[in-house]
Amino acid sequence: MQPQFSKAEAANAPEGAILHDDATAKWFLVSSVAYFFIVGIIAVIIAAKFVWPDLMGTMSWLTYGRLRPLHVNGMLFGWLLAADMGLAYYVIPRLCGVKLWSEKLGLATAALWNVIILGAVVTLLAGVNQGWEYAELPWYLDVLVVVAWIMFGINIFMTVANRKYQAMYVTIWYTMGCILWTAFVYLTGNFATLFATGTNQANLNWMYVHNAVGLIFTPIGLAIAYYFIPRASNTPLHSHKLSMVGFWSLAFVYVWTGAHHMLHGPISQWLQTISIAFSLMLLIPVWAVVYNLFATMKGQWHQLRESVPLKFLMSGVVFYLLTCFQGPMHSLRTVNAIVSKTDWIPGHAHMAVLGCFSFFAIAGTYYAVPRIWNKALHSDSLANWSYWMLMIGGLGFFTTLWLGGFWQGWQWNNVSIPFIDTVIALKPIWIVRFVSGLMMFTGIVLFAYNILATALGNPEEAAV
Amino acid sequence: MFKKADNNALWAIGISLVLFFIGGIITTVVPPLVDTSWSKPFENRDPAKGVTGKLSPLTDLQKQGRAIYVREGCWYCHTQQIRTLLADTKRYGWRGVDAPISTPDEFVYDDPHMFGTKRTGPDLARVGGKYDTQWHRTHFRNPRDLVKGSIMPAYPWIVANPQEFNAMVAYLQSLGRSKDWRPANDYEK
Repeated sequence: MQPQFSKAEAANAPEGAILHDDATAKWFLVSSVAYFFIVGIIAVIIAAKFVWPDLMGTMSWLTYGRLRPLHVNGMLFGWLLAADMGLAYYVIPRLCGVKLWSEKLGLATAALWNVIILGAVVTLLAGVNQGWEYAELPWYLDVLVVVAWIMFGINIFMTVANRKYQAMYVTIWYTMGCILWTAFVYLTGNFATLFATGTNQANLNWMYVHNAVGLIFTPIGLAIAYYFIPRASNTPLHSHKLSMVGFWSLAFVYVWTGAHHMLHGPISQWLQTISIAFSLMLLIPVWAVVYNLFATMKGQWHQLRESVPLKFLMSGVVFYLLTCFQGPMHSLRTVNAIVSKTDWIPGHAHMAVLGCFSFFAIAGTYYAVPRIWNKALHSDSLANWSYWMLMIGGLGFFTTLWLGGFWQGWQWNNVSIPFIDTVIALKPIWIVRFVSGLMMFTGIVLFAYNILATALGNPEEAAV
Repeated sequence: MFKKADNNALWAIGISLVLFFIGGIITTVVPPLVDTSWSKPFENRDPAKGVTGKLSPLTDLQKQGRAIYVREGCWYCHTQQIRTLLADTKRYGWRGVDAPISTPDEFVYDDPHMFGTKRTGPDLARVGGKYDTQWHRTHFRNPRDLVKGSIMPAYPWIVANPQEFNAMVAYLQSLGRSKDWRPANDYEK
C-alpha cells in the first residue's frame, strides 16, 4: 500500500506518498468546533431558565421558545453534522487511497454550510419557525441544506468511485448509507410534510425526527468509530462479518420506528405496534456493532489510559449501548406510559447525541487535527480534563433527568397530584441539570480551546 | 448478495436504498391510504356513538393566534394529545368530567401539527373553554402571579398587543372543542 500523509507532513513523507490536502476537512472542523462553543452558551442559558424562569425573559428573542430550537439545530447541524462531515472528508480519501475528488467543491460546501448555520441563528431568534421538531428552519434554508448535501455527496461518491482499493472498509458503507438515507429522510421531514396535515404530517415529521438520529447521526457516527477505534489503538477490527450484520440490519430496521414517538397517541394502533416491534429489533444492529468494537479492544484496554481519543471513543460505545437499550425499552407500551413526554426523554436524547455521537466526533477531531496541521496537540492535560468534565457532567445530566423523569411520570399517573406540584417537585433535578450542564460546557470550552490553539498555534511543534 | 456489496459500490447503494424503502413506504405512504380517519374531519351527530360535535376549519383570528403559538415555541413544552391513558383522560378532564381521547380526525386542519413531544407544562388538547380571557391576560403577563411555582416564560408583549392577545386567546379557546364534551355547554369565554 502506498503511504499516506497530510500535506502539512510533506517534509516527513517518503517519496511517492499520497499527500492529502485536507483543506475542506480543516474548514469544517474549525467551524464546527466554534459552533460547539457558541451553542454551548445557549445550552447553559436554557438549563438556567428551568431554575430561574425570569432569567433574560424581558426580550422576546431570548425566551425559551426561541432559544431551544437554536440549541437543537445549532448542536445537530452546526456542530455535530459539520464535524462528522469534516471527518468524512478526512477519512474517506485515506480509506480509498486517493485524494479527495475536489477540494474546491469541498471548500464551497464548507462556505455554504456556514451560510446556512448563520441564517439559522438569525431566523430562529426572530421566531421564524416551521413548527416541526428538528425541521424548524424555513424552506429557503432547507433548500440550501439539500444543495450542500448534494455537493457533499458528489464529492464523497466520486472519491469512492476513484478508489485504489477494491474492497470497501465498513466506514465507507456507513458514510455512503448516511448520505443516501439522509437525502430521503431530510426530504420527508422538510418537504413531504408541506403536503400533509394533522396526524399524517406528524407521522412524516416523526419518521424524520427518529431517522435524523437513526439514519443520519448513527451511520456517520459509527463510520467514525469504525475508523478511529482501530486507528487510535493500532489494532485491526475484530470481525468484518459482524460489521456487515450491523450495517445491513440497520439499513432495514431503523426506518420503521418513527411512530413510537406517538405511542398511546392519536395514531393508528397497527402502526404503533409495528414501530414497537421494529424498535426491539434495533437491538440486533446495536449489539452487533458494540460487540465488534469491544472485541477489537480486547487486550488493548490499557491504551485508554494514555489516549484521549480512545477514552472518548470507548465511552461513546458504552453510551451507544445504553441509549439504544433505553430506546427499545421505552417503546414498550407499559414503560412508555411512564416515561413518555417527561424529562427522561431529554436525558435519553442527550446521551445519544452528546454521550455517544458527539464523543465520537470529539475523538475524531482530537485525532485528526494534529495530523492535518502537523503539530503536536496543544495540551494533553487539557484534553484529559475536557474528557472528564464532559464525562462527569454528562453522567450527572443523564442520570438526574432519568430519575427525575421517571418520578415525574409516576406523579402524572397519580391524578390526585396537581400538575403544578409535579413541576415544583422537579426543581432540585433542574438545579443538578444546570450544574452538570456547566461542567459539560467547561469540557466543551477546553476541547474547543485545545483544538483551535493546536490549529492556529506555534508551527514549530511537530506532531510525534 | 451482501458479500458483493463489499467490492461493488453501486451494488451497496442499491441494496441500502431497497432495504430503506421497504420500511419507509410501509410506514409513511401506506398509513394515510388505509386509515381514512387521518384525513376525514371529525363529525358525529349521534350521542349513542359517543361525544358529538364537528371539526371546523380555524377562523382567521384563530389562525393568527396559532401562528403566534408556533412562533413562540409553545409546543416545545405543551403537548396537544389526550392519550389512551387514564393519566391523561382524568388529569385533563374538567370539573369531574373526563377529557375525551384525542383522535386523528380532530387534527385534519392542523398545519403544522402541534402534538408535541414534551410536557414541561400541562397538555393543552382540551384547554379550550377552561379559563376565561381575564385569566389568560393575567397568566400571559406573568404566569407566576396565578400559578405559584410555574416556570413558564412571561409574555407581557403579547398582552400589550391587543391584536396578538385576542388572536392567541381565540386560538386557545378553540382547542379540543370540536368534540363537545362539556355538559350543558359549560365553557368559559
